[in-house]
This record gives sequence, C-alpha cells and structure tokens, in this order.
Amino acid sequence: MSQDHSKDRFEELSAGFLAGRISRRHFIGQAAKLGISAALLSRIVSAQAYAEDGNLMDSSPDYPNEAPITKERIEFLKTKPYKGQTITVLVLKATVGDGLKYWVPKWEEETGGKVNVAEVPIDTLHQQIFSDLQTTHRYDAYMTGAWFYGDFFVPKEPYIIEVGPYLKDPKYPSWSPDDWLPAMKTLYSWQGKVYGVLFDGDCQILYYRRDVLEKAENQQKFKDKVGYDLPNPPKTNKQMFDVANFFTGWDWNGDGQNDWGIALHAKVNEQGFFHFLTLAAPYVCSPNNKYFWFNPDTMKPLINSEGHLRALEDYVKFLPCGPKEAISWTLGQGWNLFLSGQAVLEPTWGDLPTFAQDPKESKVKGKVGATIIPGTTEAYDPIKGQWDKFDLNSVGNVNGGSWHCVISRFSKKKDPTYDFLAFMATKKNAIYNCTHGFTGVQPGMKFEYFPPVGTGKVEEWVEQGWDPEEAKRYLDAYYQNLSLPAQETYLRIPGAAEYWHELDVRVSGVLAGQTQPKAALDDCAQAWERITERYGRDKQKKLYAESFA
Amino acid sequence: METIASVQSKAERGFKYALLAPSVIWIIALTFFPILAAVRYSFANYVLGEGITAYVGFSNYARLLTDSGFWYAIFITVIFVGITVPIEVCIGFVLAWIITIGVPGKKLFRPILTAPLFTMEVAIGYLGVTLFTDQGGLFSTILGALGIHIEWLSTASGGLAAAMILDIWIWTPFVFLMSLATLSAIPNDIFDAAMLEASSHWQVFFHVAIPLAWPVLTVAILSRVLEGLKSFGLPYALTSGGPGTSTQLFSVMADLTTIQFTDFGRGSAMGILYLIMVSIVITFFFKQMRKRID
Repeated sequence: MSQDHSKDRFEELSAGFLAGRISRRHFIGQAAKLGISAALLSRIVSAQAYAEDGNLMDSSPDYPNEAPITKERIEFLKTKPYKGQTITVLVLKATVGDGLKYWVPKWEEETGGKVNVAEVPIDTLHQQIFSDLQTTHRYDAYMTGAWFYGDFFVPKEPYIIEVGPYLKDPKYPSWSPDDWLPAMKTLYSWQGKVYGVLFDGDCQILYYRRDVLEKAENQQKFKDKVGYDLPNPPKTNKQMFDVANFFTGWDWNGDGQNDWGIALHAKVNEQGFFHFLTLAAPYVCSPNNKYFWFNPDTMKPLINSEGHLRALEDYVKFLPCGPKEAISWTLGQGWNLFLSGQAVLEPTWGDLPTFAQDPKESKVKGKVGATIIPGTTEAYDPIKGQWDKFDLNSVGNVNGGSWHCVISRFSKKKDPTYDFLAFMATKKNAIYNCTHGFTGVQPGMKFEYFPPVGTGKVEEWVEQGWDPEEAKRYLDAYYQNLSLPAQETYLRIPGAAEYWHELDVRVSGVLAGQTQPKAALDDCAQAWERITERYGRDKQKKLYAESFA
Repeated sequence: METIASVQSKAERGFKYALLAPSVIWIIALTFFPILAAVRYSFANYVLGEGITAYVGFSNYARLLTDSGFWYAIFITVIFVGITVPIEVCIGFVLAWIITIGVPGKKLFRPILTAPLFTMEVAIGYLGVTLFTDQGGLFSTILGALGIHIEWLSTASGGLAAAMILDIWIWTPFVFLMSLATLSAIPNDIFDAAMLEASSHWQVFFHVAIPLAWPVLTVAILSRVLEGLKSFGLPYALTSGGPGTSTQLFSVMADLTTIQFTDFGRGSAMGILYLIMVSIVITFFFKQMRKRID
C-alpha cells in the first residue's frame, strides 16, 4: 500500500469518524492498521468526545444553517425551543459586530428565538460591558476583546460563566474547543476552563507584495542601493526596514505618484499600539524568556526594558516609510494604503488578505504574500538583564482582540444565549466567517487550516472568492506564527485596557516627536506602577500568574 | 385664634412649597448627591468589581497636582476656549449686525448660517477626519492647490487647529442667533437716531449696538465658555486626544480616567479640582462683566 493511499484512507476514516458515520472502535482499529500512532489517535478521539453522545451528522437538509449537527439537535430544533424568547448581545461596532449580526436571522429562523444586537465603538466597549455587569444587567452576552478577561475575574464569582457544561450537551450546536490551536484556546479560557465561544482568532503577521518583491528590476535596484539581495520575504527586522525604506518615495507601481514602503496606523485608541507590541516581541521574548509585561515575582513593569526601547526606536524609523499622517490613521485607513497598491509591506491582522480578495476594495488580489513577523538576532532578557544572541529569534503573537462573546452570569437566558453563540461556532459557520472579510474573523481552529495541520479544503476558500495560492500562503503563515515555540504572552489582567492605553498614548507621542523613546517608556512604567498599586500589587501578581495558566 | 388671613397665608405658602418641591428634589437628586458622591470617591481607591478598597485621604489630589498630564490637559483646554470663544463671539455678532442692518437675501442666510448648530458634535468630528485628511481631504486638497501644506491631523498644533476650526463652525451660529435676537429687540428708532449722528454703520456698531447688546452677549459668552470647557465629542472624534496626548482636552482625559478605566477615585478628584478652578474663573468673569454693564 502506497504512502499516499494510506494518507487518503486515513483522511477518509477521520472524516467519517468526526462526522459520526463510523464508530470509535472501528476508527481506532482501522487507523492502527494504517500505522497511525496511538498519540495522534487519542487527540482525534478526544476532539470528537464533546459530541460523542450526539450522533454527529455532516449536515441536515432541514437545518442547513449549521453543520455538522447532532440528531439530538435536530429533534431539539423541531420544537422551536426559544420561541418567544429574546436575548440581547452587546457587540463591537466594527466588522466583527457585522459578522455576528449576519447570523442573527439564520439562528432566529432555526430556533424561533430573537436576538437584539447593541453596537458600541471600541473606545467605549469596555466601559459599557462593565457598567452593565455592575448595574443594569441588560445584556445576556458581550463581545469581548481578549484583554478584558482579567477584569471578568476580579470578583470572587466571575462575571461570566464557563461554557464547558453546555459543550457536553448534544442538543446544542456542535463545536469543540479541542479544535483550537493551543495559543488561541488560551485566549478563550481562564485557568483551563473555557469561557468564550469561538468567533475570532487574531494575530499579526507580515503581508507583502509578492509581485513587487519578485520583480527582477526591483531586485537589481535594491541590490545596487542596499548592497545585498532583496529579501523575499524579509526575515529580520533590519531586512524589513531596508525593504520598507527602499520602496519609499518613488513610483514603483507606475501610477505616476510616489509610493510607500509600509502601511501602519497609529491613531490613539485605535489599536495602533499593537504594531509596537508586534515589533517588540522578538526583542524581548525568546526561548530564554517569556515575560514581556511584568516581572512575575515583583509585578514591576518590564515595558521600559532595553528590548522594548530598541523596538520603539525601530518603530520611529519605520514611520517615515509611510505617510506621516499614519500617526492619526485608524486601522481601515492603514489597510486602504496597502489595498490600493501603494505600500509594499503591512504587519497587521488577517482582515487584510481577506479584503484583498474583493476586487471592489482591492487592487492587489493574487499579489499578496504572507509571512511571520520578522525576527531579530538578539533579544533582551529583562529578568536577567542581558542581551542574548540568536541566529534568528522569531516570536509568534496573538496580538489583537480575538473578539468573541462571553455570557453574563446575570443573564436570565443563558441557554438560548449559548445556543446562539455556539451556532456561529459550528464548523460550517466558522469557515464562512474566516473566509469572508466583512465578518472581521480570522482562523483559530485547526479545521480551518489545510492538511496536514487541519482538515480545511482550499475549495472552501475558493468558493468564497479567494485566490487559492493566496489562501494557502495566508494560512501557512498564520499557522506558523501561532505555532512558533517562542510566543509573546498576552496581557490578561485587570486594568489591561488601562495599561495599554498608557502605552498607546506614549508610543503615539514618540511617533509625533513630542518625547524621546526612553523617556516615554520610563514614564509609561511609572504610570503602570500607579495602575498596579490601585488594583493591588499582590492581587495583580496572582492574576498575572493565573493568566498564564 | 387664627385669622382667615393667616390661614390663607399658610395655604399660599404651602402651595408655593408644593410647586417648588419638584425642582428642589430634582436639584438635590441630580446635582447635590452626585457632587457628594464625587467628593467621597475622590478620597478613595476604587477598583472595578471590588468597589472602594480603601480611603486614601488627599493622595488622589496630591498625585493630580503633581501630574504634568493633568496640567497639560487644563492648559490645552484653556487654549481651546481662549481662541474659539472670542472668534465665535466676534464673527457671530458681526454677522447678526450685518443681517440687522439689512443685506439682500438675508432670509436665505439665516438657515445656512445656523445649520451646523443642529448637527451633532461627534458627527462633525468624524466629518472633520474626512475634511482634514492628507489623503484627499477637502481642506487639504484646496490648500494644497494653493501651495499650502498643513499637517492637520498628524501634529499637535494641526490637530488642535482643526478641532478649533470645526468648533468655530458649529458654535458661531449660536452666538449669531442670540445676537440677532438682541439686536432685533432694540427699537429701530435708536439705530436711526444714531445713524444721523454717526458717520458710518461701524460707528453705530461699536458705540450703540455692542453696548446695548452687551448684557445678552455676556450670557452668550458665558454659555460658550462653559460649553467650551466641557467640549468632548468633537475633539474626541477628530483626534482621540492624539498624537500622544497633545490634543487631549480636560473632558477627554476625565472621560478616559473615570469612565473608560473606571478609576473613580482619580477621576472624581479631577472633577472636583476642575469644578473649583472653573468656579473661580466664572466668578471673576461675572464680576468683570457686571462692572462693564454698570
């Protein structure tokens, strides 16, 4: 039996087992005959465990809006279980909010329930969520950024409920937390328990214009000017700067106007500081150090370490490689520069390649490459206070909101609320979300990736208008970023929004030339100390440790 | 023995109190208690989810008084109000005067001049982003065609100037309307008599119109100063206080501290300090205005 045949047979078996068409015993027996290891089998079997009582089917003609679906679920839906019930969800007024709203009529049609969606902009979302939790209890669920998690766990009884018990009940929509990539699952969990229901999976990688970097004329010009071969794609921070700098200020796209090397956005309160966090990751995190934010023993800020400082100095150098007004740009404005074909590089979220597929918004379909964020050759260990040398220190990140919903513990309609959220998390709907730009959703589940990582099929992406090669490049880079051994940890303690705001305004001040990087980061560290004191150093230390658990 | 008059007097008094009661309750509930609550919070350490964790005396105040960010926000606010209000008052009053003395098509001017007043500040702020952006914004394009390049939204001075221009655009009509009402209420005989004595409209403007309209103009100035000191929606939508904190007015800083980051202790102390400062300024302002009126 050829190796290819074994692989095909195993994929067939896995699909049959996960869809509930063949029994667990039969699957294990047949897979063992193909020489599949017990370790791999145990992972696949556990992935199916959540619905093992549910007789999972690929789909149901009566309920085409969710797949796979259990027989119990089909019976449950026949009763229109939530007829007369209305749930209210608070969402971010942005693409992710639009993504959620897309599913409302479909869920309402299936279940008989109603969903009211309230939208608020990002700068008031945190306040709206927590004022509601403390006073009015108007909402059943909230769309949260992953950095709000610490605040949910300040009271003895958390503000939000664990969704584990629902996952075992086959009458609810079928999805499994075991499908998450580990780095992403962490953001939906607290101390090993799952609180969030799958929606978005954010991380920043580097998108670049393949066609521009591959052009022989550009390669020659670059070599003549910079002195080495044009890196395609850039592997180090220095290479990224050289490329951005080289393509700035001349008309490389032939439209008669000067173009730019890099697209960034840095408006205060518009998530621009994530660029800094992404740049700083390989300067601070490494196989030798995972602490990026605080010293876990003292809760003293690490934000003014030499590594962070080097990254901020780099960021200042990058800024002239794009329009100066990028200081006041929102995220969408940054994307527009790249999508309109006027920038070569953009380190950002997965919305960019998704939007790039839309010819109405993009001039770069089929021209976009994707790679992990370039690394560094040295990283500063802020705990030991020393620089460590590396051949190449590449660090993954989950920077961004990874926007998803959590259920209020004060909700009187937890069951329909969970049902609605889980409905969007079913495989069919999750794939729809991450292949459509308007939803603002990026892939965090294994099944959304192509084999051998996941079970996704490139046809599913092509059906949604993707260039097949672009989809592969995007998912490869995304997966590579999320599975790098060294990862930048995420800040998930109370006051995270406030810590980040203090950083945000100082980074912006440096970019605007109002302060120097060292002074700004030292000042930021002082502000962080004040926040830590307010929340209580010992409590923060404990929650910081728990946020890693 | 009570006389009929005293019974009537008591009844009248009771009726007066009954009429006053809703207003008094309203003021106590919505002004007095919130101020008391703010005073209490200003002496406390407040944590989201836990409430007041400790009373910290004057430390919130002490930290603020030594916080350069706090003073910078006050400074920027004073600059903002100090520039926008005089311009709004001058333009608004002059326009009202021009309409009063009669210009062709004045019926058309009134709705055009007052239109911005009926638009939400936040909407104007977001509109400002599209007007001032370097990427094809109307202002930038027109000025660029004239060879003038201003970095509106990427610098502190540009951002503040853009916010001021929009503020003047919105609020000049307010002064215009108040001035127009005042000037319209002045009998024409006075202006006619003055015109016989004066050599030009401007002499009447400076020596008759302004002095007669001054009491109402004072109220307009006061309203604009108070509104300007609380200005929030427009600058927030336009720049979010950036770059850095360079256009962060006091109200934006207070909102971030108190509402977004739920630091009620520090935020309340900010509010109380600001209230004291504004009260001193307003008292001084009133005294000066009264002197002029007298």
